[in-house]
Amino acid sequence: MLITGVSGCGKSTLALALCGLIPSRIPGEMRGQVMFRGRALSGLKPHQASQLVGMVFQNPNLQLINQTVQSEVAFGPENLALPHHEIVSRVSWCLEVTGMEGMRKASTITLSGGQKQRTAIAATLAMKPQVLVLDEPLSDLDPVGAQEVLATLQRLARSEGTAVVIIEHRVDEVAPWADRVVLMDKGRVVLDQPPRQAWADPGPWARTGVGVPDVVRLAHALPDAFGGALPLSVEEAAQQLSGTWVVPALAQAAAARAASADLRARLEPEPAPDSRPPVLAWEDVSVEFDGKRAVSDVTLQVAEGEFVALIGANGSGKSTLVSLTVGMGTPSAGQVFFRGQPVRPGKVFEHAAQVALLLQAADEMLFEDSVIAELRFGSKFRALPPDPVLDVEGAIEFFGFKGLEQVSPWELSQGGRQRLALGALLVGAPGVLVLDEPTTGQDAEHMQSFLRLLDAIRSRTGLTVVAVTHDIRGLASRAERIVALSDGQVRLDGPTHHVLGQIDELRQCGVLSPPLPRLQSQLLGHCDDVLLTVADLAAAVSACRPEKVGGI
Amino acid sequence: MQNILVRTILSYLILFGTPMLLPVLFIKLVGLGGIRDLVTYEPRDTPLHKLDPRLKVLYPIGMGTLSIILNWDFMLIVFGLTIIPWFWLKPSRAKIRVLMVLVIGPAIAGFWSQGLYYLPPAPIHFLWQFPWTLSWMGSPGITTYGMVFGLQQTARVLVTVSTSMLILISTDVGDFTWAFERFRMPPAVGFAMTAALRFLPEMVARTTLVLRAVELRGYDMSRPKFIQFTRWPDYVRRLSRAIVIITVPLLVGSLRGTTTMAMVADARGFGVNRRRGSLIEHPLTRYDIAGYVILVGLVVTAIVLRIFHIGARPY
Repeated sequence: MLITGVSGCGKSTLALALCGLIPSRIPGEMRGQVMFRGRALSGLKPHQASQLVGMVFQNPNLQLINQTVQSEVAFGPENLALPHHEIVSRVSWCLEVTGMEGMRKASTITLSGGQKQRTAIAATLAMKPQVLVLDEPLSDLDPVGAQEVLATLQRLARSEGTAVVIIEHRVDEVAPWADRVVLMDKGRVVLDQPPRQAWADPGPWARTGVGVPDVVRLAHALPDAFGGALPLSVEEAAQQLSGTWVVPALAQAAAARAASADLRARLEPEPAPDSRPPVLAWEDVSVEFDGKRAVSDVTLQVAEGEFVALIGANGSGKSTLVSLTVGMGTPSAGQVFFRGQPVRPGKVFEHAAQVALLLQAADEMLFEDSVIAELRFGSKFRALPPDPVLDVEGAIEFFGFKGLEQVSPWELSQGGRQRLALGALLVGAPGVLVLDEPTTGQDAEHMQSFLRLLDAIRSRTGLTVVAVTHDIRGLASRAERIVALSDGQVRLDGPTHHVLGQIDELRQCGVLSPPLPRLQSQLLGHCDDVLLTVADLAAAVSACRPEKVGGI
Repeated sequence: MQNILVRTILSYLILFGTPMLLPVLFIKLVGLGGIRDLVTYEPRDTPLHKLDPRLKVLYPIGMGTLSIILNWDFMLIVFGLTIIPWFWLKPSRAKIRVLMVLVIGPAIAGFWSQGLYYLPPAPIHFLWQFPWTLSWMGSPGITTYGMVFGLQQTARVLVTVSTSMLILISTDVGDFTWAFERFRMPPAVGFAMTAALRFLPEMVARTTLVLRAVELRGYDMSRPKFIQFTRWPDYVRRLSRAIVIITVPLLVGSLRGTTTMAMVADARGFGVNRRRGSLIEHPLTRYDIAGYVILVGLVVTAIVLRIFHIGARPY
């Protein structure tokens, strides 16, 4: 079962009530009862409830208490004082079904995000719950890692009979796996149906601001092409569309785009080479941690005003690469340049005036007791340029903090705190904005509002933006250029509509291309220039429908 | 050398140079990341890893006791014995670097402070006598006797440090919990240790991140060069202020983490039973038996020697 809804709609609260932690551990007024096979869960102690309904929390780092994978999984059964043979058998079973058997003795702090999440699932399963509730289990995972976790959960549901409840914003990825979809809004369930029925009417989704899978939106945009049956996955959509008018129309639209690009290339004069140095440049950069290479011989340039997305699996070296631009970390070889000047390792304060780096954990970047003080924080310690594009007053207006100047940052929503951290960085008038996973864990509405904000910042300031992201469908698709990394090396680098069409190459980088490029690739065999939005795709194929083409 | 000004300058350098060297040594060679490495368990397949956890808990206690009751000559033997298992363990380079600082740091500190302040009966042989411009601070100078005494005291401390570190990095916390339970201690003791050892590296990582975030927000944390004496007071002031600044995000993050951890522990049945089960059984092996025999043998021998006034500590 997929439970979704905007941030703050009550999903996580419902999950805590489902597993009995509300009201037993979190105070509050609770009316009604959570029943498990006719038995009230609210009367049970947490350890009793957890043997019926297990919960996997959002952040795996905070729920792994022990030092090794096997001791983590054994923790629950040991607490229940089960006999040795029973503990051994439960641990082996849990590690096997979660695919962690090979990592049994690994230290938990050395695991990747996906492995930590699977360990947390295994540890919860060791209590032998009949229902497993997972609160945003995919938020820290790359798309391939997310698919691994979802496959594990489906295996549990199908072969072990465990009911799985997933609370998630990333509906595109969960949709093909779910048997039932629950939509929540303002603490209430507004929809509870099987997926095809749930998404048959886009009305409730639009009203609540919750994202709908791209293939579903495409089916709504081209109803006659899909023949009424709603696809939930790219494979289903491709199956339904193969043999229909959409495939030749899509091919014709792709050929027309290629011809148009070719014509433009021949007619338009070659742009004069930019005499300015690139705003950021990595030259033969390698980085090693404890003898292991995180980044290997990377040469990359970012031009003034560009919007570049860095994508890749967890641990591919994306964050390491961008952190070098502010002097965080030291390259073992090569050098990083900002506007032609070398970036000096360790001189973070010095380089932070030029490159604004917004960390994934934006909360860690807030230090003051009011919004206004937060925006003035940088100017207390460093002289700002005399005529900044965005001053403190301008930032209050631009980021929507009018009337909230004296409010504590901790009273703002998560999105508000992120906006505040971003605004505080931009008041410093940097030359480049570097974003590290800025949309992680955000619902569709917050993500869209962040993307709109980014567009507004770029159009107002002309700022160069480099974003590290797993959010290929949202943030990366907005970029002008995508750089895909794997094992610390650049594997793909080019315009977004071209790179996202390299499905197999991206998969080798541990990245799953968004549904629409994958659909176009499946239908056409290979597509070098993919359309990225439902509106563009629907318009392109509609324009090339056979009857319209015949009429031209 | 007889010039009072020269002697004063040299004396001040001798007195304050060494204590200033210690934090520099720590920051350069260990740093916050090093503290994280320090308590991180390193899973390996060595006989030391497989030893009975009870023996591992008793080992630092036993060796620490020997270091207290024996005199310097015997202490050297005990100190040598505590070094041997490290060759067996072969820790990672990161650990060795941190351990070396942990050994050398206190050694210099003990050696130095006792050399300055531990005074033997007259006549005193000074390696360097401070002029009156410095001796008013309480130390007349550096004595050979004091330095040797400092070295002895440091070695005693290092026996406990070395044995504890050896056990910390070769023992899964779950095994400590198991041992504590066998010693009839409440499960909460084991859990407290588990939580501390598991989350200390997490806390260190977060502190490093928040310190970086402060710099990213425009706060100058850059360290002056060693010889830029005039800039050091400002650096210390900035550093002190940064501690206040980072407290809020660290506190908020820690409280959130603690709440989740408490709920996870509850959900996994922690504290339900006084006795817990165990994934790993620890049947006594010949290595365990040999370990117990050696440890008990050493302690009993030391006690017997003391009874016969052999090797007993005179102070």
